[in-house]
Amino acid sequence: MKACYLIAFAQSHSDFRLPELQSISEIHGFQIHLPKDPDTSRPFMVVELDEEEHAFILAQRCILIKSIYEFYARGTTYEEVHEMNRSNRHLWERYVPDTSFKFIVTGFNHTIPQRRQRDVIESFAYMDFRGKIDMKNPEITMVCFEEYESRPAPANGPPRKRCEDDGGFKEVFFGRLIVEGTARQLVGVFDVKKRAYFGNTSMEAEISLLMANQTLASPGKWIYDPFMGTGSMAYPTAHFGAVVFGSDIDGRQMRGKGKPPGVIRAATQYGIASRIIDLCTFDVTNNPWRCGELFDAIVTDPPYGVRAGAKRLGRKRELSEDKKALYLQHSQNPRSDDQPYIPPTKPYELSNLAGDLVLLARYLLRPGGRLVFFLPTVTDEYQEVDIHTMMCEGMEVIANSLQDFGSWGRRLITIRKIATQKFSPPSFQHVEEDAMDTHVPAHRDFREKYFQGFSRGQCNGDQAGTVST
Amino acid sequence: MVRLVTHNLLACHAKDCNTNNFPLVFQNVQLEIREAEFNSDFIRNFLPKIEWNALVKTAYELGDTSLPQDQPEMVDDEFLKNLHHVLFEIHIIEGGMVCPNCKHNYPISDGIPNMLLAEHEIA
Ligand SMILES: C[S@@+](CC[C@H](N)C(=O)[O-])C[C@H]1O[C@@H](n2cnc3c(N)ncnc32)[C@H](O)[C@@H]1O
Ligand SMILES: [Zn+2]
Repeated sequence: MKACYLIAFAQSHSDFRLPELQSISEIHGFQIHLPKDPDTSRPFMVVELDEEEHAFILAQRCILIKSIYEFYARGTTYEEVHEMNRSNRHLWERYVPDTSFKFIVTGFNHTIPQRRQRDVIESFAYMDFRGKIDMKNPEITMVCFEEYESRPAPANGPPRKRCEDDGGFKEVFFGRLIVEGTARQLVGVFDVKKRAYFGNTSMEAEISLLMANQTLASPGKWIYDPFMGTGSMAYPTAHFGAVVFGSDIDGRQMRGKGKPPGVIRAATQYGIASRIIDLCTFDVTNNPWRCGELFDAIVTDPPYGVRAGAKRLGRKRELSEDKKALYLQHSQNPRSDDQPYIPPTKPYELSNLAGDLVLLARYLLRPGGRLVFFLPTVTDEYQEVDIHTMMCEGMEVIANSLQDFGSWGRRLITIRKIATQKFSPPSFQHVEEDAMDTHVPAHRDFREKYFQGFSRGQCNGDQAGTVST
Repeated sequence: MVRLVTHNLLACHAKDCNTNNFPLVFQNVQLEIREAEFNSDFIRNFLPKIEWNALVKTAYELGDTSLPQDQPEMVDDEFLKNLHHVLFEIHIIEGGMVCPNCKHNYPISDGIPNMLLAEHEIA
């Protein structure tokens, strides 16, 4: 039955909330009817769902959902709340005669003094619930949220008390608890520090999980990470049932020290080793894929040069003839991966890389498949058009969520392949273009900008300019 | 690792090596059989992507003769099970894959093939 539900979000990554809801409903083939102008910066949202079961599905899979309630009322004053709650009597009437219950009054960004909590509960007395109050195992839990604006401590003053300005809420929400989010615990399960193998490029668990959800990972799907590194996104993606293929120009990133390779050790820890289809060492700009339309999604954190520089096979300048002869000789002595031939690499400019990645995805994805990746960008210089400079025919941006680090940020971009025709693989050739009349995106030369200006003292600098397998 | 599903999708990509560059030929291989989850939808979806002759030939070379020479028109459960085994459960742990055309040897160690090209091989 169609009804309204109140979603309480976890207090992080607000820009990722809507895309996640939409992805999970798409995986399970149902609709979420959103409010007209959803304000995702707020921790509460009232949505319409066709079935209560959909609330359970969302709570099981959305990393950013704390809990979901059957929605009864909201208002900027308690008069408004009670008026609406009375008019929704048909929704809670059945709990009046004899259902045990618990009633919680709680503040967001605020602590409500005990006394006033009691006053608020009293004000709902007209609901006249006859069942017994049970704080341990109630049949139903009613929750009343007061939402306060976040009020950060003044620059040099003492921190604000959490109970200051009591009653000065922005809005009140009221409903009955249906389900607590269970997916958030995965953030602990996939904690990088507890992982059998990780490195300095590993992506934090919460973001990796959000990325996995953006891929629509589920059983029967095949998902590719062309900049696999230590495999952070592969684990949650495989956990959700998909199988994964990973490649990287630098085999050491996937292997680590010891046997079996690090990525396999971590996958074993999570019980999903058999879902890592294969790992392979190659430069994605010189890749051995025989054909396209293979994958349901590509999920990746491209090397943007801060911790693991973008590079590709080749040299900035051409080699002399005798050097070439030397390499020829060298390569005719095949070596195993342990004493690798270390090919030279040249830098790979981020805006070229982003454009190439979209073209590659268009080639390698099945129709309807998704490309999910991060694009770092300088916050002040970012413009919406930056995304469009890397787009091509047949691909469509469906989500763009900012993770804000202050002077820089990164955007999680989700792109869908809307075209159904076949495309040829990208050439990865770049002419040294002069940017006279084309728009220069803010992520152009991101690495240089990072080291020039807005370093936050956290980076380890670039890694060596060579790669090995 | 290096399962036959992967082997069936990778071709030699050295510069100017465009014909007879697939399938790569396994050499000095060390095999392992490991069970994998069976998902019939996945295999059905994947079937159109397979180069059948290459798969059968390679499986025979590795000692598995469960697949028919010609791709059957009717897909039944037994066929899917055999195909599943060949594609996902045979792992090549060590050895190499050699291009039938240019003879480039792509070495495999700990199940990870090194498909990096040398400088003069890049297009
Ligand atoms: C930001 S890291 C990805 C980290 C990964 N998500 C993880 O969990 O560790 C980027 C990776 O891209 C690899 N890389 C850089 N240039 C490449 C290229 N041209 N082709 C393939 N991989 C490349 C680097 O070796 C590095 O492991
Ligand atoms: Zn070749």
